[in-house]
Amino acid sequence: MINEILHAKTGPLTRELLREPGEFGLGQLPVVTKPDATTNMVCGYCSTGCGLTIHLKDGEAVNLSPTTEYPVNLGMACPKGWEALSVLDASDRGVTPLLKNERGQFEPVSWNHAMEEFTGRFKSIQKEHGDHSVAFISTGQMVSEEMAYLGALTKFGMGMLHGDGNTRQCMATAVVAYKQAFGFDAPPYTYADFEESDVIVLMGSNICIAHPIMWERVMRNPYSPEIVVIDPRMTETAMNATQHLAAFPKSDQTLLYGIAKTLIERNWIDEDFVRDHTSGFDEFRNFVAEFPLERVSTETGLSIEQIERFAETIHKGQRVSFWWTMGVNQSYQGVRTAQAIINLALMTGNIGRPGTGANSITGQCNAMGSRLFSNTTNLLGGHDFPNPAHRSKVANIMEIDEATIPTENSWAYHEIMEGILKGKIKGLWVICTNTAHSWINQNVAREILDRLDFLVVQDMYHSTETAKMANLTLPAAGWGEKEGTFINSERRFGLVKKVRKAPGEALSDFNIFRLIAHHWGCSEMFKKWTSPEAVFQSLKEFTRDMPCDISGIESYQHLDSEGGIQWPFPEGAISTSEQETNPLGKERRLFVDGKFYHADERAKFLFEEPKPLTEKTSNQFPFILLTGRGTASQWHTQTRTSKSPVLKKLYPQSPFVEINPADAQRCSITANQKVIISSQRGKMIATAFLTHNVQPGQVFIPMHYEATNQLTDAVFDPYSKQPSYKACAVAIKRL
Amino acid sequence: MTQPSSQFDNDGLLAWLLEDQQQLTAVEEFSQQHAVDGLPSQAKYYQKLMPASPPGEGEQYAFEVNLDACSGCKACVVACHSLNGLDENETWRDVGLLVGGTTSNPVMQHVTTACHHCIEPACMIACPVDAYEKNPETGIVRHLDDQCFGCQYCTLACPYDVPKYHSGKGIVRKCDMCADRLAVGEAPACVQSCPHEAIAIQIVSIDEVKENAEVDPFLPAAPDPVITYPTTIFKTNRVLPRNTLPADYRSINPQHPHWPLIIMLVLTQLSVGAFAVGHFLTTSFDGAFVEAFQPVQATLALALGLMALGASTLHLGRPQYAFRAVIGLRHSWLSREIVAFGLFAGAASSYAASIWLFGGTAGITQTLGWSVLGTGGLGLFCSAMIYVFTQREFWNLNRTLTRFVLTAVVLGLATSWLALILVSFTLDSNLLSHQQLVGRQFAFWLIVMTAIKLIWEGGIFLHVMNRRNSPLRQTATLMTGPLANFTIARNALGLLGGIVMPAFLLKSASLATPLATVELKNLIMVGMLFIACLIGEFLERYLFFAAVATPRMPGGPRP
Repeated sequence: MINEILHAKTGPLTRELLREPGEFGLGQLPVVTKPDATTNMVCGYCSTGCGLTIHLKDGEAVNLSPTTEYPVNLGMACPKGWEALSVLDASDRGVTPLLKNERGQFEPVSWNHAMEEFTGRFKSIQKEHGDHSVAFISTGQMVSEEMAYLGALTKFGMGMLHGDGNTRQCMATAVVAYKQAFGFDAPPYTYADFEESDVIVLMGSNICIAHPIMWERVMRNPYSPEIVVIDPRMTETAMNATQHLAAFPKSDQTLLYGIAKTLIERNWIDEDFVRDHTSGFDEFRNFVAEFPLERVSTETGLSIEQIERFAETIHKGQRVSFWWTMGVNQSYQGVRTAQAIINLALMTGNIGRPGTGANSITGQCNAMGSRLFSNTTNLLGGHDFPNPAHRSKVANIMEIDEATIPTENSWAYHEIMEGILKGKIKGLWVICTNTAHSWINQNVAREILDRLDFLVVQDMYHSTETAKMANLTLPAAGWGEKEGTFINSERRFGLVKKVRKAPGEALSDFNIFRLIAHHWGCSEMFKKWTSPEAVFQSLKEFTRDMPCDISGIESYQHLDSEGGIQWPFPEGAISTSEQETNPLGKERRLFVDGKFYHADERAKFLFEEPKPLTEKTSNQFPFILLTGRGTASQWHTQTRTSKSPVLKKLYPQSPFVEINPADAQRCSITANQKVIISSQRGKMIATAFLTHNVQPGQVFIPMHYEATNQLTDAVFDPYSKQPSYKACAVAIKRL
Repeated sequence: MTQPSSQFDNDGLLAWLLEDQQQLTAVEEFSQQHAVDGLPSQAKYYQKLMPASPPGEGEQYAFEVNLDACSGCKACVVACHSLNGLDENETWRDVGLLVGGTTSNPVMQHVTTACHHCIEPACMIACPVDAYEKNPETGIVRHLDDQCFGCQYCTLACPYDVPKYHSGKGIVRKCDMCADRLAVGEAPACVQSCPHEAIAIQIVSIDEVKENAEVDPFLPAAPDPVITYPTTIFKTNRVLPRNTLPADYRSINPQHPHWPLIIMLVLTQLSVGAFAVGHFLTTSFDGAFVEAFQPVQATLALALGLMALGASTLHLGRPQYAFRAVIGLRHSWLSREIVAFGLFAGAASSYAASIWLFGGTAGITQTLGWSVLGTGGLGLFCSAMIYVFTQREFWNLNRTLTRFVLTAVVLGLATSWLALILVSFTLDSNLLSHQQLVGRQFAFWLIVMTAIKLIWEGGIFLHVMNRRNSPLRQTATLMTGPLANFTIARNALGLLGGIVMPAFLLKSASLATPLATVELKNLIMVGMLFIACLIGEFLERYLFFAAVATPRMPGGPRP
């Protein structure tokens, strides 16, 4: 007894951290969250689309761990995935609709009251200014079924014409690049390609931080691949490269044309593939003749040896894969740069074989779903609004009047913003995105939103920068509180399940759309769509006979038991699990037969003269500002990741700016000093982090800090309309 | 649930949707995974990261980090949190960043670290209640949560900032290398979850760890491994350039001040100092004066000393277990301090009682006085050793002991002077001349000792000029930068209470004003200078805690 009091080796505090066999193949687990059942679903952050095993207790999620057998992540997850459940418990979750009163304060209102406001205000705006004066901004973070419902509700039911998604900010460039080159928006790869390549080229992609689980796949590559990273900054990924080409910002297109010229000159091209499967090569050959190594070296700041070595590496590689992310997409010339990558893959025959491809790594968990089913840029299922046959197909599947389907294309995101500025858009419905933080040139973006007569924000949290500007907020259930499917970067459909109860009166976006359809008076159009899975059955029909045909997927159960299914999966396709029991066998790539989606079945060489930086540095603004992902623990505008106390410990809470020590010395800035960074558009305060990782003349600030976009310059790719976040001119001085 | 009918009215539909939202269907709709016997499914990945057999004689388990594979994703930190059921914001692993090189060849290296399960764990040696045990077979240093009483000394003693205090629970918790997972052949959470297989469990030879510590710098700017012999192996094929340093190398942040400890240290030193001054007075002054002076003086010193010991329990997360503090007497300076001050409290109480009962000049009082000095001095020395043990430069033996002794002297004089003034109201007029003489001596010595202390303390500022970002320069930078207000206040109060006011009194007393008229004024003046000196010392001790440069593993950028 006395000994126990003096030496307490066990007791209540010890028991709190006790681990016990968790069963379900999970190994030991904390007693406090020991599951009585498990179920698998896909993660809701990035496009990697990892499988997570949800630990359930009485039907509700209590913990999670990455799914060992899921063919994407093979038992691993990044910090965001591990913490996916905890952000659902945040105190600033929306629990009831909030309506802003005359004094500018939010008041909780009932759903019925909110619906009266919603329909009343939008209908009166439409009555006064025309149907098209109300628009919507969608997302890449909702399930496909909800995207389809939203797109159909707004465009077929509510008479809107203009709607776009935040995917404009991340994937639009890849979409257009693929569409023009391949004839369809079709990322050709499968993650197994990371493991199969002997040369991996990563452009504008810090996958160690932005897609850590894809880096896992690179690390599993048994061939000691040559890894070439093209990035002005020395990133984690560049650190792990065998060749880091720190090309001057936005000079990558020139570099790629120079490489193409070198490959052609040295006859290092796959002539058979070019002849049989491509078009436009002769014009391309003539065009790149204008890119001699000397010019490329001058414009990129790379040595001729570096450039030649890169070309030689591509030539020597048996299986060369090219990967790109936001460094390419978020550019005023992103489409042509992406196509310059595609051109290299085509001319060297590095496509359609294991370990090859011109591969765009997507951003958001359901960016691909948005591309196919959001009904914004494309008509449902990858169709075209102006095409009467497509409209008729969609109308038949939905059993609606074909006349309700718009015959013209929507404005892109920035055109909608301009529309507000010009007074053509008066009402806006923002769903599951945070425009007031994420849109480029933030000060102007907020002024634009301020001009709206009525702004509705539908989000999990009522605290986002955009929600605070709204007239009405609608509380939405989040990932894990609803059902549906995501499509990941490698075209894999994965299932999201309802494993948590939404707080208060929050409703899934799906249920909110149903409620709105009812109050708007158009619920008859959606009578078939009684559940997310019912919508999924329609999605299958939309894709029938399209490149993304998934008519062979039977049901959610089928998706669940297969561990996700990649498109295409047309009816009659053999179940992948029957083909191969090895998880890698579940991975499939496109263009194995060399046939592309253009009418002539050929891929196109597309190119254009590179343009100089849209905002040149000057005496007043002598630095180029690079922006990008800060850490693997942060996601976009941090509406979710900032709600996890653990994730918050993993990145600096206040902004920092990476600056080269030589520049710092010139500006009399010392380590950890507060500095002001300013551009023509705004300014922010950050702490100086002196590092050789950025080149002299360049500075880097993570995009997650709210103030970062006060600096960025609203210029856009002319084809994809994607904002160019990555390079603008700034000044920096000590505070 | 059945589907909502199109005939629903607004309320009916809403009710249906809200109800639907609360239905959890995943379990019924999707086939659950069946319970699996044998090894967990992740084992196929982590088996190669585990040793084939348990450690033998002279060996123990250790983390092995392959720096070339660590890309800084920090999944290990969060997986450890999730798979070990840690509290909301509790983490047992950290990922830091090293940067260096040149613009043409920059280097960045993420470093994942947790407890190093040291050969000679400072946490365990420091712990006064034996709440740590090092497993003789595995070498794992485990914290016994129910034994801990929350003194947080281990958080100061560990050079790697590993044990973390959990204020809600009143205890410290730390990594146990998932000992019970290892025991059944499963990998620790971090090993299981690293997407790049950068963390493994290895068996290391204890002798080898010690030999390596002699020459191995462990990691750039990391604490010297000979302090505790950490076992973690950081391996890399990369050559880190010589200028590679932690990303937070230049960031300086004030440390936790530990207010109960500030109060406890300053007041115990005051008490010891006051007893010492009182004791030595008996040998050099008139007996009648001593008899009048001692009771007040000793009572004041005792009251403040007991208050200090009371304050120290406020620092405990679970003060109800304070009695366990003696358990670690054989190795913990904190146990020793507590025991020494416990004896001091007994001796001081007896001494004070003896003064009241037998008088200050009685033989027994004299003997007890020596025991008060002995135990008090020992306690003060143990107090200093608590901080010396942490091997922080600002807290080394010379600096800490000098500081504590000077505090005892300065506050001992100030307290005694205050007692002297209080006593003066009761003195016969023939003793007042004595009182004045003693008062002048107190004033003189207070000025001298305060001046010495302030000048000695100010010596730290010389380190601002250090070329290297040494710990003492970091301390000086903190005191002149983020903590400048505390530094200014500390010196202003020291000057005022220890020099300006005593000098003024010394001067005015020399004017030979009739004493009766100045008594109240004197009381106010001395009372004020006492408070100024006391608060000045509190602030000095605040800076002692807040401005210390703490050793730590490399961290990330810290704006």
